[in-house]
Amino acid sequence: METNQILAEIREANLSYMMLAQSLIRSDRDQALFRLGISEETANMITALTPAQMMKISSGNTLLCRFRMDDDLVWTLITSHGKTAANETVSRLHASILMAGRHQEAA
Amino acid sequence: MRVKSILTEARQIERAVTLIKLGARLQVLESETDLSYERLLRLYKEVSGRSPSKGQLPFSTDWFMTWQPNIHASLFLNIHEYLNKAAAMEEIDTVIKAYQLYLEQTEAQGLEPLLSVTRAWRLVKFVDNGMLTLTKCTKCSGNFVTHPHEMARHFVCGLCNPPARAGKGKAAGALSLTH
Repeated sequence: METNQILAEIREANLSYMMLAQSLIRSDRDQALFRLGISEETANMITALTPAQMMKISSGNTLLCRFRMDDDLVWTLITSHGKTAANETVSRLHASILMAGRHQEAA
Repeated sequence: MRVKSILTEARQIERAVTLIKLGARLQVLESETDLSYERLLRLYKEVSGRSPSKGQLPFSTDWFMTWQPNIHASLFLNIHEYLNKAAAMEEIDTVIKAYQLYLEQTEAQGLEPLLSVTRAWRLVKFVDNGMLTLTKCTKCSGNFVTHPHEMARHFVCGLCNPPARAGKGKAAGALSLTH
């Protein structure tokens, strides 16, 4: 990818992320904290953004959201390499329990 | 004491309607709102189109200890704890919102939601009373519903170490394991 294209795609991803985050927070703030894995303070900052501000912070060379599965165990469970379809459901449920237990990320 | 403020009452009715739609038993509504039994009964019929089920609520903690229910209960309780820490809400609203998120997740994974909203509400009460708690699994570090006297240093969850007969059921939407 050329630099221009990279920047354009990062901006696109950032914009859709920010717009989704805003609408999730507006439709149900408390559940949005769980879905997005952010703190109440961050949620306040995101809702206060105007469209112009959103455009501005979305343009840059880095992404605004971060990968949340940076843990070997959850990663193995979610991708479940070499597992049968039946065990895969169990693995995904296991991963959901582990992910839901991480409230320190929102604190 | 009955509610005085109309706004408070409106909020309570709204909460009761949400609970009825989620399938809550009448006892949950009686305990979580100040609305009279008669009004709750009428509301129940109006919202669900039928009379509420009669009889006692399940009162035992044993159900939560069997393999599949334990996994479902643990998922719900982890979400509940998450919301409890991240957001400031009234207790019953935390139960409602956590339960909705639990339903979404089981649906997304094609599973039957084994945990009813009444049981979810009971579970939170059991935890408040110290009859059940969350214990960290020594293998995966996930938090699972256990009795409080579980030996935390040796605890291994039902997903890291499924019991021999676990996942052998053939029911649709049930968890199954091939050993």
